[in-house]
Amino acid sequence: MKRFIHLAFFSLSISLLFGCETVITTKLDSGPTLLSVDGWLTDQPGPQTIRLTQTTNYFNNGPAPIASGAAVTVTDNTGKSYAFTDPDNDGYYVWTPTAKDTLGRIGRTYKLDIKYGADAYTAQTKMNRVPTIDSLIFRKKKRNPFSKTEGYEAEFYGLDPAGAPDYYRMKYYRNGELQNKTNDLVSVQDASIFTNSGNTDGLQFIRPLRRAANPDSLYALNDVVKVELLSITADTYLFLQELRQQLNNVGLFARPATNVPTNIIGATGKTATGYFVVSAIRSRTATVTAENLRPDE
Amino acid sequence: MKPFFRYGLLFLASLCTAFAQDKVTVSGYIKDAANAEGLIGVSAYVKETGTGAVTNNYGFYAVTLPKGTYTLVVSYVGYKKQTRTIDLTADARLDLEMTQEGRELQEVVVSTKREDDNVKNIEMSVNKIDIKTLQRIPALLGEVDVIRSIQLLPGVSTVGEGATGFNVRGGSIDQNLVLLDEAPVYNSSHLFGFFSVFNPDAVKDVKLIKGGIPAMYGGRISSILDVRMKEGNAKKPEVTGGIGVIFSRLAYERPLFKGKGSFIVAGRRSYADVLAQPLLKGDLKGSKFYFYDLTAKVNYHINDKNTVFLSGYLGRDVFGADFGFNWGNETASLRWNHVFNNKLFLNTTGYYSKYDYSLNTDLKQKTPNDYFRTDSRIIDYSLKPDFTLFLGKSTVTFGGQSIVHDFQPGTATAASAGDVRVFGLSHKYGVENALYVGNEQQVTTRLQLQYGLRYSLYSYVGSGEAYTFDQTTPVGLRRAVTSTTQYSSGQAIQTYGNLEPRLAAKYELSPSSSLKLSYNRLAQYIHLISNTTASTPLDVWTLSTNNVKPQIADQVAGGYFLNFGPTATEYEFSVESYYKKLQNQIDYIDGAQLVLNRYLEGDLLTGKGRAYGAEFYLKKNRGVVNGWVSYTLAKTERQVEGINGGNWYPSRFDRRHSLTVVALIDPKSSVAGQPGRWNFSATFTLASGTPATFPSGKFEYQGFADGYFQGRNNYRIPVYDRLDVAATLKGKQRVGKRKEDNWVFSIYNVYARKNPFSVYFRPDPDHPLVTQAVRYSVFATLIPSVTYNFKF
Repeated sequence: MKRFIHLAFFSLSISLLFGCETVITTKLDSGPTLLSVDGWLTDQPGPQTIRLTQTTNYFNNGPAPIASGAAVTVTDNTGKSYAFTDPDNDGYYVWTPTAKDTLGRIGRTYKLDIKYGADAYTAQTKMNRVPTIDSLIFRKKKRNPFSKTEGYEAEFYGLDPAGAPDYYRMKYYRNGELQNKTNDLVSVQDASIFTNSGNTDGLQFIRPLRRAANPDSLYALNDVVKVELLSITADTYLFLQELRQQLNNVGLFARPATNVPTNIIGATGKTATGYFVVSAIRSRTATVTAENLRPDE
Repeated sequence: MKPFFRYGLLFLASLCTAFAQDKVTVSGYIKDAANAEGLIGVSAYVKETGTGAVTNNYGFYAVTLPKGTYTLVVSYVGYKKQTRTIDLTADARLDLEMTQEGRELQEVVVSTKREDDNVKNIEMSVNKIDIKTLQRIPALLGEVDVIRSIQLLPGVSTVGEGATGFNVRGGSIDQNLVLLDEAPVYNSSHLFGFFSVFNPDAVKDVKLIKGGIPAMYGGRISSILDVRMKEGNAKKPEVTGGIGVIFSRLAYERPLFKGKGSFIVAGRRSYADVLAQPLLKGDLKGSKFYFYDLTAKVNYHINDKNTVFLSGYLGRDVFGADFGFNWGNETASLRWNHVFNNKLFLNTTGYYSKYDYSLNTDLKQKTPNDYFRTDSRIIDYSLKPDFTLFLGKSTVTFGGQSIVHDFQPGTATAASAGDVRVFGLSHKYGVENALYVGNEQQVTTRLQLQYGLRYSLYSYVGSGEAYTFDQTTPVGLRRAVTSTTQYSSGQAIQTYGNLEPRLAAKYELSPSSSLKLSYNRLAQYIHLISNTTASTPLDVWTLSTNNVKPQIADQVAGGYFLNFGPTATEYEFSVESYYKKLQNQIDYIDGAQLVLNRYLEGDLLTGKGRAYGAEFYLKKNRGVVNGWVSYTLAKTERQVEGINGGNWYPSRFDRRHSLTVVALIDPKSSVAGQPGRWNFSATFTLASGTPATFPSGKFEYQGFADGYFQGRNNYRIPVYDRLDVAATLKGKQRVGKRKEDNWVFSIYNVYARKNPFSVYFRPDPDHPLVTQAVRYSVFATLIPSVTYNFKF
């Protein structure tokens, strides 16, 4: 009985704090259809892709309507031009390098030009520097303080280069598969993942970031884990922060829903959504095995 | 400041003698005979002349009359009427004590004030709730709550249940001046907004002023919530307390200095953590989650001319395991009541108010090389003399206030792998001064006027940095700093002055009906920085600066007031309508960074607001079933360049319709002359859904789907409705025993409606391309509770 009372009080305080969510249907008016640009290019070898789609009704959970038949070109500040083509009309516009050539070079600026129907769009960005990931280790941990199930928690170490603010996005893969839930969208300013939380320039990545490359279930023995750091620009960082905020904008303390920024500029007065980014990538891969395990702190 | 008062006093003293030649004044304190608490708002009425006075916040009254013999009728709802014959040949002091009427009648009192107050008082847009009514209203988890209860009044709304604060006539939550014994309370909530910080055992009187705000008040532009603490029983020691689901409460009060003073000390603490402690193991061991408050007050009646009061409040919310977070308020106020003579009364208040929070990621210091700590606090110091001059047909109030604001917006220390960085923001200082004079005048027997003028002068002062921002940046984007100027200590960076006229008029159409009109302008120099639906304890206040202009509100209101029933006091009815214009309302750019941002001002937008509406209020004062019905029709909008294309949009707390019904049921006892042991109460709330921003489309990016939006607050969430009930069982009263006790059983949200707090659109967290609409309810079920209260 006493235990029951304890539990009742405990669950009451928890439910008070978290409330109740119900998925509902509601009527929504559709706005105009806009071009959406998902263009994230890298300095890695192999083909580079820009995906063009169209905005659609919020409750349309089928595949996004593709935008085919566009002319897509990327030019860098040295005047070198890269043509992206979509021969199979699936909205994926691809540039395939010849030999060992790669598209991205740190320090160069890039301009994207899209001609789609009667409209033209441009975007500009820059490829910034990125530090290496020095190590990737694992610790045996409970999934969360309430759980009895254990797993392996990854922690990676790296040093933010001193001077000039740096911005990154962190991505991670479990056994080759990108982990991409809404909580996995992590953007970094210097060594920190909190906007304007002060000067963390030149520091070891802060602990919440070092431990951000973990799925809810943590890892199992022999999982292969890859962590990537992608350099981004300051405006891309703000865009990703806003996007993450909006994807998780729930509960008592939600903010007014608003459009995330875009760097796609309509030359003919039309607006677009999406972002054009060119990143340098550094990564580290490790397997959850005895030699990569460290004692729990 | 000082010379002003000296000359002012001289002037007033000469004024008094001029008036006093053929007239005499009777004055004094009116107190409760049971505990010697000063009674606020008691009517002292002179039968022969039809004139009279009402006691002020300290129970002091004064009536000026030509020499002669008069009948003075002193009345107060719930107290025995007193009639005194007075033979006035010279100024006289008459202190009175009033006895409460029989228990049975007292239980049905809805509010303590004179019976015809609704019609006769010049105040409009004012609601008072006494503590007995508060205790009767069904409460969430049985915890009697001042802030939740005032949300049942016309013109008061909230963005949603569980949200901190309240919205008055279209104003945001930071536009309410919440006073506890005249000291402002910056965060009136425990547990993010579920409970308010006022301990019902220590509260005597609650008054909400929504319009026609007298000149003595200033500093916030929407409303004044004036909470007065009990003085403590000056006749006999008393212990009150209770055990509820959330809090345990205990209060002790007793006489001091041989009946010349008294004190009360009251404390509350939540105790869920104590009960849960045995269940917390491993990492959770030693987890803290509790909140408490402590209220204390002492007064000393030095002599007939001088009384001093010292009151204090201390409250804190503490949460933490490895990660710790705590916040709280502290206030202290010292007041001195001085009676110069029969006509001139002075209350001087000095107060201190503090709000602070701190956050630490490594509370147990397990990881000394990696942590983040931050804290923030605001402190106010103030001195406030308020004079009241009773001149027979008019009552003059005048005085001033000086406030020094010392804000520390945030300090922070971060450590990563042993490297420690200290950063944060420097202190910001502001000085607010105000002078005011007001007059309440009986022009004819039917027409009464109250007019006044307040001049507020604010300076943003050093030491500190002032910034200028790039004005060429398109509105809606972050403005970059273009220059920084250093200011030394006390040096004015920016000064704003505002004349704030106040006006109110009452015209009695008949003894039981009146028309009232009011206009007021108010200015506000400190602002709560919050862009979330419900304000969080982490929200910081900011001062007006060279970039942040003071908020200004102009409000006109008019109303019709009627009392009716067999003796014209059984029912009160009022209808009021208002129009309010707001200037320099703060909003935020998309992606605004509100904490630890040195250049916060570059992320702020300013705009205008307007609010208008009509409030209907019908109250039944007596009977087996009594209570009130209130209906509000309202609209509140904002226009901010950079938001919603610069067009007007409804503010987040705009509710077109709100209806509340409060029913108090006091069944007659089977034994004649004995009060019934059971009584019941119910409240019903029905309100339009608040506005929300719904998407007009979506797009995909990097495997995530996000909404595309056109406009702000373009849809409404579903209607809100809720029924709460409570029943009180009084313990058997034993002959000769002082002990009283009762059990309160209540059910919140009786029909378990999943009332929407908000509707939001988001991808499924596990499938980020699948988008959905989610209705979020804070309390999705019925919540029963039992509370035991005692007093001896």
